[in-house]
Amino acid sequence: MGILLRISLRNLLRQKRRNLLLGAAIAIGMAILVMANAFSHGISDVLFNRILKYVSGNISVSFTQNGNRMNQLFRDGDRMKELIRKTVPEISSVNEAIGIFSRVIGNARTDNAILVGMDLKSETDPKRLADLKENFRLIEGSYDNLARKDLENPVLLSDEKAKSLNTHMLDVLRVRFQDVNGQNQAARVTVAGIFKPANVFMNTPVFLDIGNLKQLAGYGPNDIGQLYIMIPNPKKNAIPGANALHVALKPPLASAFGHLEFKGRSATATALGFRVDSASLAGLMKLLPGFFADYRLMSNDVLVGKALADSLGLHAGDRCSLSYPPKSGGENVTATFTVTKVLPASTNFPPNVIWVNDRAFYTFYYDHWPSPPQSENGAFLPDSTSSLHPFLCREWILMNRSHTTEEMQRDLKLLPQLKSHAVAVGVPTMYESASMIINLEYALNLITLGAVLILFFIIQVGVVNTLRMTIRERTREIGTMRAMGMQKNHVRNMFLLESFFLTLFSCFVGILLAFAGMWLLSKIQIHSEGNHWDMLLVNGHLHFKPSVLGTALFMPLILAIAAITAWFPSRTAANLPPSEALGHFG
Amino acid sequence: MNIIEIHGLTKDYALGETTVHALRGIDLTIAKGDLVCIMGPSGCGKTTLLNVIGGIDSATTGSVRIGGQELTTLPDREITDLRLHRLGFIFQTFNLIPVLTATENVEFPLLLQKEHSKSEIRARAEKLLEEVGLSEYRHHRPSELSGGQRQRIAIARALVTNPDIVLADEPTANLDSVTGASILEIMQTMNQRQQTTFLFSTHDKNVLKYARTVVHIKDGLIDGE
Ligand SMILES: Nc1ncnc2c1ncn2[C@@H]1O[C@H](COP(=O)(O)OP(=O)(O)O)[C@@H](O)[C@H]1O
Ligand SMILES: [Mg+2]
Repeated sequence: MGILLRISLRNLLRQKRRNLLLGAAIAIGMAILVMANAFSHGISDVLFNRILKYVSGNISVSFTQNGNRMNQLFRDGDRMKELIRKTVPEISSVNEAIGIFSRVIGNARTDNAILVGMDLKSETDPKRLADLKENFRLIEGSYDNLARKDLENPVLLSDEKAKSLNTHMLDVLRVRFQDVNGQNQAARVTVAGIFKPANVFMNTPVFLDIGNLKQLAGYGPNDIGQLYIMIPNPKKNAIPGANALHVALKPPLASAFGHLEFKGRSATATALGFRVDSASLAGLMKLLPGFFADYRLMSNDVLVGKALADSLGLHAGDRCSLSYPPKSGGENVTATFTVTKVLPASTNFPPNVIWVNDRAFYTFYYDHWPSPPQSENGAFLPDSTSSLHPFLCREWILMNRSHTTEEMQRDLKLLPQLKSHAVAVGVPTMYESASMIINLEYALNLITLGAVLILFFIIQVGVVNTLRMTIRERTREIGTMRAMGMQKNHVRNMFLLESFFLTLFSCFVGILLAFAGMWLLSKIQIHSEGNHWDMLLVNGHLHFKPSVLGTALFMPLILAIAAITAWFPSRTAANLPPSEALGHFG
Repeated sequence: MNIIEIHGLTKDYALGETTVHALRGIDLTIAKGDLVCIMGPSGCGKTTLLNVIGGIDSATTGSVRIGGQELTTLPDREITDLRLHRLGFIFQTFNLIPVLTATENVEFPLLLQKEHSKSEIRARAEKLLEEVGLSEYRHHRPSELSGGQRQRIAIARALVTNPDIVLADEPTANLDSVTGASILEIMQTMNQRQQTTFLFSTHDKNVLKYARTVVHIKDGLIDGE
């Protein structure tokens, strides 16, 4: 109704000082709210887009060897990448993350560092390349130097690292590290660039071209390290993506099919690995009587069925070899075994199988991944319904999908009980592997919530008191309007409208204030060398990321709070008996 | 025909432990088109009587009929509506709405009625402002006007809806005698011209001459007409 609105707005202007005071309080509250929200969004942005990308990806696929998480290696890289590409519907990028602890010897100084592979060649998206260059702004040298052939192992390091190593551009440093096979290695690297990292996380890495690093660390051409997958909208897609990947990564039975050779004789044979954890051994013994009467775990022990042994003239203690086609193509490869025992004939398993213990099995299997055997050619491949199946080696071990960091770490700790040399493949999302960072984000949301509560309080106290004062002053006016024939609910609405508009204007002013404040604050250069807080800064500046949606949602929330708060005093005013309100002995 | 019929009206106020008997059994009928002065000393119950007739205070016992409509049993919403359509009020302290201009104050009851177009409302308000002689002040706020001018606007406001009855509680008490006289003259004119029933109260014997009927009240009882 026009007249009510007119009266409300004019009254807001009439009681200027009081309304200005309350309006300023609401505006400041709103400004704090918008800024807190933008700040926590900004930090989320830093955490997710600028840090998480380098420490875990949205989804990562890890390949843990022998329970050592630092030793990440999978020797069928193309297949793995193909499988990921087929399973995860939308992928922004898949990056190979190789980080190797090393000791760097500089000019009369040494320091620890992580050698990190940088994959500039596969980064074709110019926006992400620019992003990368913003995160690591080069002071000296250039990114192109990493590809230079005339420098010995060119590296990029942070200005702090350069200082601590007392080194300069084009100096040659020595690094010591363990390669993927566990051998100690030393190499010479050349400083080809010095960068200023955007945040504290990026101080320790020493960057090399990924190909170069893989070569130094002993990775073969089809070997890969841990993979970091970045996807759009990870909040929604990371966990379903990881779950889908987990299903697709269910490991098939591992086997090699070829010729078993002994003293010039040869027979087709399937090599199957068997698991050596106590539960599996017990199960196998029950299935196959006499299987391991006096079996001891030797490095390349095999058990051979009686028919196969007889046809080749094999006895316990003999050395035989299996020749099989590798997956990579090319000539057949040979694995050599010692026969521990010839097993008695049994109806429970076919004659042409050699049973290889877990360790011996994976040693040859991963060295030269066999091309997948076909049962049409006579290979023995028990399917998943076979009672043998649970005790046989798979191509890898698939770790359970865990829901928390604790669960993930517990599962990793349990891994040695399997006594397996298989690679343990895990598909954690950032929510499990980087839960600390995620928790920080929750904490930031709490800050915003705190701001909402403060604002709530300001509105509660401010609106109620202002309205009470206003009503007291305008009691006679209320009485007059009621006498003229204004209904109770109109009187109530008139006061509600006043609070509503005061809050609305104040919110707008607050938003403007917030933007001005953020603009000013982000201009300030903050020096916080070595302080942990600087991980929340972007190149030494506070990083705000206002969200339109967030702001748009706060407004109705605050208006609703104001309206609800104003409701009761307004209703009290409306219910005043007119004669009393008119001051007849009121 | 009687526009107001009051029978056995009493009004008690609880004042702490004691009860104040403000009206103690009023019987009164007022004919349509009359100009009535309620006369009596301060504290005799004039305001109380006008308030009960105007439906802004409730009766303790007795009956009040406005144009045949019993007021005492009506719910607030309908009494309010009756005030809006059939009654006009003039107060001792003028009681204009400070944030509205003279014209807007006069328009106010019509705007509440929501029964006429904007232009009709504006035209009617300006006509009434002209009749009370304040056309040139139509854009002024009440704070910019003298007491007499304000009370004339209040009269225009009370009349703008063409009410059956205008109730005026000591309309001249806050005005000097010359200004007060002019206010009562306007009321007299309007009463003659429109046949609107006027009830005004006063404790000032000098204004009796403007009334056609005088009701004397003493201690909450009628003391003669
Ligand atoms: N709200 C009230 N509470 C208690 N006593 C009241 C109240 N209103 C009026 N009275 C009493 O009722 C009597 C009549 O008052 P009122 O109608 O205001 O007289 P008048 O208008 O003639 O001066 C007075 O004695 C007054 O004290
Ligand atoms: Mg009085």
